[in-house]
Amino acid sequence: MSASFERGYNLLKEMIDAPIASYLASCVRCGMCASACLFFTETNDPKYTPIHKIEPLRKVWRREYTLTGKLASWLGLVKPLTDEDLANWQELLYDSCTLCGRCSMVCPVGNDIAYMVRKSREGMAIAGHAPAGVIAATKRTLEIGSPMGVRLPAVKVQINHVEQETGLEVPLDKEGAEYMVLLSSMEIINFPEYLSAIARIFHQAGKSWTICSEAFEATNSGIQIGVGDFAREIVMRIVKGAEKLKVKTVISPECGHAFTALRWDGPNLIGRPYTFKVQHILEVLDELRIAGKLKTAGFEAGRLTYHDPCQIARRGGVVEQPRNLLKMVAQDFVEMSDAGTMNWCCGGGGGVSANSDADDIRLQAFKRKKAQLDELGPVTLVTACANCRITLEEGLEHNQMDVPVVGLTETIAAHLLESPQFSPPRSQAGEGLGEREKP
Amino acid sequence: MTIVNDNEFKAALNALPPDQQRMVAARFAENVLSVSQDPRVTSALQAAKRADITEPELAAAFHAARSASVASYTSCSKEADRQHQASHFVAKAALNSVMPAAHGANRAWEAALNARMARAIASGVASDNSETQQQYRILSGFLTVMANRLPG
Repeated sequence: MSASFERGYNLLKEMIDAPIASYLASCVRCGMCASACLFFTETNDPKYTPIHKIEPLRKVWRREYTLTGKLASWLGLVKPLTDEDLANWQELLYDSCTLCGRCSMVCPVGNDIAYMVRKSREGMAIAGHAPAGVIAATKRTLEIGSPMGVRLPAVKVQINHVEQETGLEVPLDKEGAEYMVLLSSMEIINFPEYLSAIARIFHQAGKSWTICSEAFEATNSGIQIGVGDFAREIVMRIVKGAEKLKVKTVISPECGHAFTALRWDGPNLIGRPYTFKVQHILEVLDELRIAGKLKTAGFEAGRLTYHDPCQIARRGGVVEQPRNLLKMVAQDFVEMSDAGTMNWCCGGGGGVSANSDADDIRLQAFKRKKAQLDELGPVTLVTACANCRITLEEGLEHNQMDVPVVGLTETIAAHLLESPQFSPPRSQAGEGLGEREKP
Repeated sequence: MTIVNDNEFKAALNALPPDQQRMVAARFAENVLSVSQDPRVTSALQAAKRADITEPELAAAFHAARSASVASYTSCSKEADRQHQASHFVAKAALNSVMPAAHGANRAWEAALNARMARAIASGVASDNSETQQQYRILSGFLTVMANRLPG
């Protein structure tokens, strides 16, 4: 038994808390979770059945915590978990699970299978069976503060760009601001239109906000890889930044796992409540709408639909807000089948898009989203997660589908009623964006 | 015509007809082409600069540029590389230039913004606004050429 396997085995044993023990004991092996997982539905391969993905964890539970398992083990009737088992399960736990949680929604006995996958990943990572891409991303997060290796100068390039474009100040380290805006690395690297939209929306709303130079990054790859210590450190960096700047609210960006990590897991990870509120950007925008501080004009001319990011809708409960916001700017808004809490994942979350081993299965899984979009006909696809956005664009490009993909925040910003001096001819919002009626 | 600030720049771009917006947008993208190695971008820009481009050629250029733009994204949690990132914004600028006119945006302005982003990222200097000044000169030159072509 290698030292790394032993550490991984022991961690899996530690991960089996009361909820997990009850989940494992209550599984009736009905297989309903299979029909909820796009990796199963798009391949018909039974190995992708969600509950099967946690078989290593189940083996540990049975052997260590059940009388029959202990007896069977003592009599040599069951094979013990091996390092080879873990190596074989890497594909199932990392390549073909986005932690989207759809399986947990359909389990008739209420097992949170996605939670068990996350816990399984903890043991996998310690045993040395996590994908190289995800491990490297986590190391970068700890060393640099960003899974993509984004440093403050890159943020400053974008800040300068947005200030030039909008004529508005992008505040950095402004103590006492109402909102501290976090960015995902994806937004810093690929989507400057998000920060541009934020600057223009808060200007119109008359709200004070800031970016923190010591904690600008929201993405938490510790959650993706399944290493609680890393996840805690990443959350703590944000907590320190928010408390130093004495902000009232920290805004999680258009990034799914960042929201899960900060909003739901964060206080438990650091062992105390926050001194500030955490909201997703869509929650903030909807509050501004209700308060009459988000004023738009004109409508998108084409048909729009909305892709619910799993961590924001299913795991995060932000379902009505994006629809309220879209109704401000869309006259022809249509829902995909299974929209909202049961929406199908883009296929790239949970570290899957960071994992090149998963490239083929990810594109196979995209067939589900393709079918959902094909049902609607010509449409512009709006979403609120930068990772979903790129995964969707790659899938659409792979399938030669002419469906523009845009972020929701920038779509709202493109319709803001603004003073002319700050109003560019149009935002940078999404190339290929459907035609807009002039405000 | 001399352009000295973004207000004049935007106003001049807004006054251009769609085909001239496409042609000048392609020039903005071409000015940062040195940071892209993607032949799809080069071919799209060659097409976009032509006054006599046909609709099928424009559609083909659009698909080539979109393909280059999607391929040059830096995926979530992949290590960012400045040159790769800059090349994505060149592809986006090229995509802006060949976007069908029906999309309603001022594609030349968007191409200009993406080209500026590409230059700033490639240089690694946050305050690098050199591309903006070059774009003023490109547009001024373009307007002069267009004015000389007009009858009378």
